[in-house]
Amino acid sequence: MTEFILAILKLIFIALLFLFVWQIARAIGSHLGGFERRKRIKAGSEIVFVRSENQSGLDFTVEDVVVVGRSDQADVFLDDSYASEFHMRFSSIDGALVIQDLGSTNGTYVNGRRIATPVGLSKGDAVQVGKTVMEVR
Amino acid sequence: MSRTAEGALILAAAMLGSFGVALVNIASRQAIGDDVALTFFVMITAFGALHAAVRRWAPNGSPYLIPLAALLTAVGLSEIYRLNPAMASLQKWWLLIGAGLGILALWGLSSGGTQLLRRYRYIMLLSALGLLVLPLLPQRWPLPIRGLAVNGSRLWVSIDLGVIQMRFQPGEIVKLLIVGFLASFLAERHEALAMRTRKFGPFELPEPRQMIPILVAWFASFGVMIYQRDLGASLLLFSTFIAMMYVATARNTYLVVGGGLFTLGSVAAWSAFTHVQTRLEAWLVPFEHYETTGYQISNGIFAMASGSLSGTGLGLGRPSLIAFAPTDFIFAAVGEELGLVGSVLILAIYALMVSVGMGIALRSRDLFRKLLAAGLTFSFGLQSLLIIGGIVRLFPLTGITLPFMSYGGSSLVSNLVLVALLVQISHEERV
Repeated sequence: MTEFILAILKLIFIALLFLFVWQIARAIGSHLGGFERRKRIKAGSEIVFVRSENQSGLDFTVEDVVVVGRSDQADVFLDDSYASEFHMRFSSIDGALVIQDLGSTNGTYVNGRRIATPVGLSKGDAVQVGKTVMEVR
Repeated sequence: MSRTAEGALILAAAMLGSFGVALVNIASRQAIGDDVALTFFVMITAFGALHAAVRRWAPNGSPYLIPLAALLTAVGLSEIYRLNPAMASLQKWWLLIGAGLGILALWGLSSGGTQLLRRYRYIMLLSALGLLVLPLLPQRWPLPIRGLAVNGSRLWVSIDLGVIQMRFQPGEIVKLLIVGFLASFLAERHEALAMRTRKFGPFELPEPRQMIPILVAWFASFGVMIYQRDLGASLLLFSTFIAMMYVATARNTYLVVGGGLFTLGSVAAWSAFTHVQTRLEAWLVPFEHYETTGYQISNGIFAMASGSLSGTGLGLGRPSLIAFAPTDFIFAAVGEELGLVGSVLILAIYALMVSVGMGIALRSRDLFRKLLAAGLTFSFGLQSLLIIGGIVRLFPLTGITLPFMSYGGSSLVSNLVLVALLVQISHEERV
């Protein structure tokens, strides 16, 4: 009887170890981005500039990965003197919208809080960079 | 992954550690002892404190490394406890000391950053060289600090202060110091070293005087092998040097020249030293030397074979038949009791840690930090690969420890400091 219980416990132990490593591996995968390019569940989320010096009312959609910044080479140009060249990245992972700060100088704020790690966004969330505010629609 | 998730995973790792110890207890005497609670307490104290220090001084640091290190420690502690409970209690002390030093490193670098290390480059080099020759001190003389040979390798230093006696392997700390020195040295000299001058067909050879550092490193690691009979440390030292040269200059010439020098050194060592020949024989035909030099490797293979797919279960195998299982052959013991599934999992953890470390190096914009992260990660990964490869007979066996899992204070302490440094680098690069 003990042998049977021990065999079960051993399998539980190994399963828990795997679960642990799986959690981290998945987190690393989504952190690196682009690893989880499976089929998109919905067409993409829309992001609107609600407050900006020159870009108010403009919008863009995130279908895969969109890099936003003050550089010409960014996917979406951000006209704000506080923004970095490549300021932040929106990515659509399995239909969920994720924002990541790309090591910007002045930071990215989601609903008023500066983000350090990638953060999931939902409808109505406000993203602020310098004097610019964007909203997820 | 957030810092809270990191904390939760550390808690989970501590629970898994005590779960492992509980399994060993049930298997051996059908009852759960105090060690279960003690293991949990020590692990949560050590890694919890490290986690708190990261929150305080490196809040933007990578959240993946510490939980992975904690999980390796959890599995390692369970297996060491199973093999030798007395060693496991010593290891718990080392874990606390190592976490303390890791916290000290985070605190010390919190204001000046890792750039602080850059200034002390020659101090690091001198202390590394000093530590390297420490084991060569006489074994019997009046001073309380003596060299010590264990199992034919002159790697140990013993300190005997009457009340306290302790021994340690300075080689593990030397690894960190050398990487620190090289990162600082190469961050300044990389341009001169990367200059391409002469072309010989497909190869670009640097100026002869640019080869001086590489030759110095070669002689130094050769010296380690001759005087301390330590193949593993010598190989680790030289490969780390070549890898960092390559990262700094992006010239494959250094890989070619390094590989050539390595082959030359190996052949020379093989023809000149009997202990190298013995190692090679034990690797190629372990069963022909079963009674003598092949005994350890053979038993490691038997252990892993009897573990089969999912292992005998913790405490139910016979890994104590392997010589030096807690220090050298912990991977074979895990292979026996958790099977192929468990071994593959351990490999996956090392692979993840190396990929996180290299990711930190890739994302670093500052060359010194990049080199430091790459060098630390490379030496960590190569060390794991060499000892695991030695156990499964991929390479000749070298007597180095498996980071975080093997019994051994110096190894555990230096690897905890290594992880703390990597977290600190990733924090600085994200600020």
